[in-house]
Amino acid sequence: MRHDLADRYSHLDSPVHRLDPRIKIIAALAGILIIVSEPRYGEPIPFLFYSSVVIIVAAFSKVPPVYILKRLLIVSPFILMAAFFYPLSVYLSKSEFFLENRQIIISAGLTILFKSFLSVIILIILGSTEKLHRLLHALRKLKMPSLITTISALLYRYVFLIADEALKTSRARESRTPGHIRTGRIKAMGNQVAVIFLRSWERSQFIYKSMLSRGFKGEFPDMEISRLGLTDIVFSGLFIILLLLIRIFL
Amino acid sequence: MHISDGIINLPVCIAANVAAAGIIYASARGTDSDEIPAMGMTGAALFVVSLIHFPMAGTSIHLGLFGIAGIILGRRSFPVIFTVLLFQSLIFQHDGLITLGLNAINMGSGALLARIIWRIKKLPEYIRALLAGFTGIIIPALLMTAEFIITGYESAIAMILAIYLVVAAIEAGITLSAVVFLRKVKPGILNGSHADHKQLK
Repeated sequence: MRHDLADRYSHLDSPVHRLDPRIKIIAALAGILIIVSEPRYGEPIPFLFYSSVVIIVAAFSKVPPVYILKRLLIVSPFILMAAFFYPLSVYLSKSEFFLENRQIIISAGLTILFKSFLSVIILIILGSTEKLHRLLHALRKLKMPSLITTISALLYRYVFLIADEALKTSRARESRTPGHIRTGRIKAMGNQVAVIFLRSWERSQFIYKSMLSRGFKGEFPDMEISRLGLTDIVFSGLFIILLLLIRIFL
Repeated sequence: MHISDGIINLPVCIAANVAAAGIIYASARGTDSDEIPAMGMTGAALFVVSLIHFPMAGTSIHLGLFGIAGIILGRRSFPVIFTVLLFQSLIFQHDGLITLGLNAINMGSGALLARIIWRIKKLPEYIRALLAGFTGIIIPALLMTAEFIITGYESAIAMILAIYLVVAAIEAGITLSAVVFLRKVKPGILNGSHADHKQLK
């Protein structure tokens, strides 16, 4: 059974897709660090430049802009709330101070908004231009503890296990009681959730047992030999240096 | 509950990442290979549950089940919660990359404290389950409020706490029914023997 979870646009081909996953993670982390550490609150010009650098990378990546906007929209409520709470909390605690410096405080709220949105866009590009298992391998090579990467690899597979069981039990329920269930619906749903959990738990144990019997030692071997090429270094170096220049000189 | 990059100030985030690395080291030390499938499966369950959103007070929220994670996995729940957050950050951008440690500490502490409450054997089991479920959510919410206050958001953030009180009450109920169910059907999970195949050896 095929489930679409993460790798929707990772099969595209673009300069960003072709980058080595290790350097892509480093570049994304560096980019977010630079933007988040920007100390000039309420000045629009640096953020204009940051945004254009990020948008250029997004354009290079060929990930549909509508998709990026949709993802951004999904995570935005909390960010909007935080950006809105900052002026509000200054207003509530020191209303005179707020009225005197209204302009600065409101633009500080906007700065928070921009920082978060840009970081999220960088993460969206990172997440949708690379297959998840390659990102996990890259994290392993970047010295992430092996326990974390092993759990992630299992977690990723088990999610589909749960999805499969959910599909099966839903089909079973539908074939016995077609249409909407009116009475006792919550109880039926609760039972279904319990069955899904138990069956996938048992299956995960069996799968792990058979993995062990086939010689699994806790590490997933990486079949791909990846080497850092010149384009990897130039492309991500350019990204980081441009952001750094904006951060320091502009 | 998830904090994105750029909202909490940088020094707090970096300190939290260092602390999270330390806690992961301490809580993951001596992990037996038998424990790994249970950790992966619990992580997958937390991840799937977090995909189901329902609207509340203007935003959409989802269940965390950190209390249940703490009951089932004990201190091993911390690396699992970190992994789930890493996934959510890479796939759905729910958390930032820099705030990963911060979010892990917030939610992981909920699970760790839930475990401590769960181990108070003097209380009847249903009370321990209710308390563990409640703690699993309210501790992260309190920590998050504290971080917002450190960063400079003041009074208004208290509103968030009110929302999470409701979520924590819901989670307490769900944790209770899960514990009652597991006690009936598969008590081994609650007693910490996750690996059924231990008996095979």
